[in-house]
Amino acid sequence: MKKNYVVETIRKAQMVQLLVEGKRMDERALDQHRPLKIETGIIQKANGSARVTLGNTQVIAGVKIATGTPFPDTPDKGLLVVNAEILPMSSPYAEPGPPSEEAIELARVVDRGIRESEMVDLTKLCLIPGKSVVTVFVDCNIMNVDGNLFDATSYAVVSALRTAKMKKYIVKDDKVEATDDIVPVPVERTPVSVTMARIGDRLIVDPNAEEEASMDMRVTITTDDDGNVCASQKGEASTISPAHVLEAVDTSIKVGKEIRKMILEAVK
Amino acid sequence: MIQRKQVIPGDVIAKGTYRYGSNIEKRGDEYIALRVGLAEVGTDGLKLNPLTGPYLPRAEDEVIGKVADINGFGWVVDINSCFDGFLPASFVFGREFSPATHDLSSKFALGDMIGARIESYERSRDPQLSIRGHGYGKIESGEIIKISPTKVPRLIGRRGAMINMISEKTGCDIRVGQNGVVVVNGPPEGLVKTAKAIKIVEEEAHSADLMAKIEAYLGGTEVGK
Repeated sequence: MKKNYVVETIRKAQMVQLLVEGKRMDERALDQHRPLKIETGIIQKANGSARVTLGNTQVIAGVKIATGTPFPDTPDKGLLVVNAEILPMSSPYAEPGPPSEEAIELARVVDRGIRESEMVDLTKLCLIPGKSVVTVFVDCNIMNVDGNLFDATSYAVVSALRTAKMKKYIVKDDKVEATDDIVPVPVERTPVSVTMARIGDRLIVDPNAEEEASMDMRVTITTDDDGNVCASQKGEASTISPAHVLEAVDTSIKVGKEIRKMILEAVK
Repeated sequence: MIQRKQVIPGDVIAKGTYRYGSNIEKRGDEYIALRVGLAEVGTDGLKLNPLTGPYLPRAEDEVIGKVADINGFGWVVDINSCFDGFLPASFVFGREFSPATHDLSSKFALGDMIGARIESYERSRDPQLSIRGHGYGKIESGEIIKISPTKVPRLIGRRGAMINMISEKTGCDIRVGQNGVVVVNGPPEGLVKTAKAIKIVEEEAHSADLMAKIEAYLGGTEVGK
């Protein structure tokens, strides 16, 4: 069976030619993302959920909150785990079975952006240090693949966490009890990841499947509300030049601002 | 007189004795539709043109495919179908082909478009392709347009009437694969018109006066004459 998506040679040549002129096949600007739609609260039984549609890419994220024991090295911090799964129906190239390398990288990059921006204040999720903490699990399902899963998944996770509600836990006689009070998850910031692909010597924002299949290099940069870079990931075999690193950071801050506005609008 | 009607799976198209084509099953003396589509009841037989569906390979069809994988014995070609086409290296290099001496990717690399003919196809094996014959082989340039394979007969028209008209009016060279892949070469303004015309054909394939509609859309834009 077909293993990877291959772009037609003549189409790729057209794409490269257009990029030299600063144009893209779908008539977007180089730093323009595809139409973004964010819906929240789509799963009733989850603590929080969101569906993000970025062009034809579609991702659903759900948040589940419970209590558990903390990791031994962080006894006073709650748990945050982000997982992602690429569903077999999402693309002709996705297969059922254990998560692919791609899916693991996706979950790790999204997790890192959320974690390192300190979006969720994990210290507020500690109940009994070393014994009991609140655990936050975010599970993402990729419904349709048309490139740039990193950003779509990241926006879904951020939106789901932003709207997530949990039971208020109290500690009574050294025991954790769940009350009937509903409180929001302690969310402090809104990290936004922006993925760029390099084809030839052009950096393009939000590559679609066709552009991803032709790219030499990919870089994902997550920025927070104040424009600080909190996480980054470079992928594919080719290299990135220092000039492109700076360009990528600037672009991700600029595009991040627009997208943060859209996310905050959606989670109001 | 040909009678046309819309059918869904399970509908009885006709009763009696007819010759019938694909997507139709005979039960007793009833002819049952197996797909959603337009059924034609003619004096000589029954036909069912499905509204949607994948490309199902048929021997002798001319298709346009994309090299999706290369293995030691040939090329795996994406022919826009639920089946992958396979072009054996021995069909290209001849009987003296040996995986040790011939470099397959020098002939057709990953992503190259090739015009090919379905050599043979049966349900137990993937369709086999061949590039023997005039006009088959690598496609070097052009705009790729994909349409639903069920709309290909409409795009070609009666004895090529539709495609010839579009080609003449826009000055473009249009090559249509039975699998719904179309490659267009020509002047830039002609390309845009052709792409739009092909999309109109696809969207309005059911309308009766399609030919006139397309002619009206392209009217007066004779390029390259």
